[in-house]
Amino acid sequence: MPGKSFLHKLNPLTKVVWSLAVITLAFVYQQPLPILSLWASVLAVALIGKVLREILPAIRGLIIFAAIFFLFQVFLIDEGQVVFTLVPGTGIGRITDVGLKACTMLALRMLAMTSTIPVLLATTPPKDMIVAFVEKLKVPYVYALMLVTSLRFIPTLQEELSLVIQAQRARAYDLEGRNIIKRFLALIPLALPLLLMSVQRARTMAISMETRAFGAGPRTSLHTSTFQLLDIGVISSCLLLTAVLAVVSLH
Amino acid sequence: MIRAENIHFTYPNGFQALKGLSFHIKAGEFVAVIGQNGAGKTTLLKLLNGLLKPTAGRILIGGLDTARARVAELARKVGFLFQNPDHQIFLPTVREELAFGPKNLGLKGAVLEDRVKDAAAAVGLTPYLDFNPRQLSKGQRQRVALASVLAMQPEVLVLDEPTTGQDYREALEIMRLVKKLHQQGHTVLLVSHDMEMVARFAGRALVLGEGQLLLDGPVATVFAREDVLAATGLVPPQVIQLARPYQEQGLLRPVLTVEELYAEIIAALRGEVDARQVLPA
Amino acid sequence: MEPIIKVENFTFYYPDSQAPALEGINLTVREGEFLGLTGPAGAGKTTLALALNGIIPNFQGGRMGGKVMVAGLDTAKTPCARLAGVIGSVFQDPEAQLVAEVVEDELAFGLENLAVSREEIQRRIGAALEMVGIASLRHRSLRELSGGQKQKVAIAAAVALRPRVLVLDEPTSELDPQGTVEIVALLQRLNRDYGITILLIEQKISVLAPRVPRLVCLNKGRIVADASPRQILAQEKLTTELGLEVPPVTALFRMLRRAGVYQGDLPLEVDEGQRELGRLLGSRASRA
Repeated sequence: MPGKSFLHKLNPLTKVVWSLAVITLAFVYQQPLPILSLWASVLAVALIGKVLREILPAIRGLIIFAAIFFLFQVFLIDEGQVVFTLVPGTGIGRITDVGLKACTMLALRMLAMTSTIPVLLATTPPKDMIVAFVEKLKVPYVYALMLVTSLRFIPTLQEELSLVIQAQRARAYDLEGRNIIKRFLALIPLALPLLLMSVQRARTMAISMETRAFGAGPRTSLHTSTFQLLDIGVISSCLLLTAVLAVVSLH
Repeated sequence: MIRAENIHFTYPNGFQALKGLSFHIKAGEFVAVIGQNGAGKTTLLKLLNGLLKPTAGRILIGGLDTARARVAELARKVGFLFQNPDHQIFLPTVREELAFGPKNLGLKGAVLEDRVKDAAAAVGLTPYLDFNPRQLSKGQRQRVALASVLAMQPEVLVLDEPTTGQDYREALEIMRLVKKLHQQGHTVLLVSHDMEMVARFAGRALVLGEGQLLLDGPVATVFAREDVLAATGLVPPQVIQLARPYQEQGLLRPVLTVEELYAEIIAALRGEVDARQVLPA
Repeated sequence: MEPIIKVENFTFYYPDSQAPALEGINLTVREGEFLGLTGPAGAGKTTLALALNGIIPNFQGGRMGGKVMVAGLDTAKTPCARLAGVIGSVFQDPEAQLVAEVVEDELAFGLENLAVSREEIQRRIGAALEMVGIASLRHRSLRELSGGQKQKVAIAAAVALRPRVLVLDEPTSELDPQGTVEIVALLQRLNRDYGITILLIEQKISVLAPRVPRLVCLNKGRIVADASPRQILAQEKLTTELGLEVPPVTALFRMLRRAGVYQGDLPLEVDEGQRELGRLLGSRASRA
């Protein structure tokens, strides 16, 4: 992953600053068109960073999410002129011009704001993120480590779950054909062995860490989080651009 | 009892785990499946229990197509015992753990109780019925797992590395139980990388390598094919390695177990004397 | 010379337990020894390992008596972190004992905790990977590795801290025969080439016996034998009582000995057995 593009080379915090800038502008703008261009700029950054193709599925997911959000909200606003009724003559499913505009804004805003997240994840190994947080933002190492180890355990848990499912199926345990409550209760035979094994694992991990001097006192770090010239450039232009655009838009 | 008809399996990422596997296991056989990690053993098991469906071909167990059979139907026919009993144990007592399977089959009352009692007795866990399985040793927990499968009275037993992580005594105990169940009429399919156990307990062996069936025959015949075994990174049992050079010279007859080799050596040393007379009790 | 491990009359009870997990343990290990430790499940092997690396009593409490000294340090009075530079530990479950995502970071973990400088960490990681023979795995994700490779990473992570002793608690129990032999052979190399004292807890006697000069057997919390594997495997009563695996080749020659047709040493592996068998069957078979 490192060195694939300038985005990969940036310090994770620089990318966080960029995300925050996008979020700020998304709140500042009150018209659909500027927000649309803001969103386009996020995708353009992804394109230059050579991760657009990689994050497309995530973007698609975000679009669907925004669309659902839009549909849920748009029927709730009564103000303004009715432009559309779902069941004509009854008033059920009314959409007003005010509602349409407000919800479009909301959905686009949400889209622009959240689209930076997949870009961030695709160009930053979790480890780098953690080093940056610990070193530059002084987040305690223990919390950061907790995050890394939990991330590491996800594939293990998936593998383990598959084994648990096999073992319980072999005892004629079947999730199909039950109602929702029963289905929920029926998760116990899957969740419980998984949980009990994880507790055991956690203990082993704690012991393994203990035997490698965890918590001995101040520690060093193999990896370091540095701000290059590029980072400083990107951060200052982000801040400057946001300030200018915000001022222009508010006047 | 188990029939695999030209089964293929390719994972979504394009990895061909099984490339055309056919075999037929008759009722009452004790068959071992051996092969290196990555040879396709795990995939074969998942096809057997219906968790995966073959991309081509089919597997029939007692006439049931494993890809189509309902979970309960399959569980009634085949009992699976996996490596780690902790993947299934979750109830507070051994009794409840043993009742879990039969209950899923819809059994209750006296029938259910009998099933639990019989299964516990079969693996020697009767005194532990009201214990928390978590307090038992790993070997005992594996016996709980075996009993919980037996309680459904399956005809076929499929065992996936059932002795991994146990001490030798416990491992042997599990295998002796399996042998007893085989003698009582169960068909047994054992996946294992413990060649000594295979030589000692199985009658027939299937050797998998890179998704293909490399050898299929009586254990003695299979272990004699050192060339094929070596090519897949398998080492035959010590007894067979020991005896090979002298077998080739006609000094000893083919053997599988320590006891047989001992008898052969004594026979060779004493000529006409029947070696069995000096076998220790 | 001062022994590297000295356990004196050590007794340990887990909390809420009536029976001792270990009772009256006396064990002396000289620097540079390769010691096998075996015994049935529940014999106290893991407890002993945890007492050596200080997890007992620093992390796992309980009632204890006696003393455990490693490299002159009393493990009950020395923080685990201090012991980490003296005694390295490897456990059974390859999955649970690794904390990082990438091999290199796993090795760095302990060094970082000990506040070793960045350049030194780099150097030590390189050296440890080289010693264990997995230099090519340095930047690999742990997720992609086999169980055997993961155990090698765990060993390398321990070795990176330059311990004088390595204690391994059934590191091969989840590995296939090939992986098992590789791990034991690796430990032999670390012992021979680098002089690291090794205490290997192991059930697989067929692999262990030909490779260790000294085998200690635990049963019900006590040491019941401490001798060469050959001497221990010769004692039928003992091996039966402990339920120890006897390598088939050894079992065969034990039977031949009992029948009075064999008088030599008990072979522990196939090559040795073949030679002895050739001698026994006469010159016609000497080709082997």
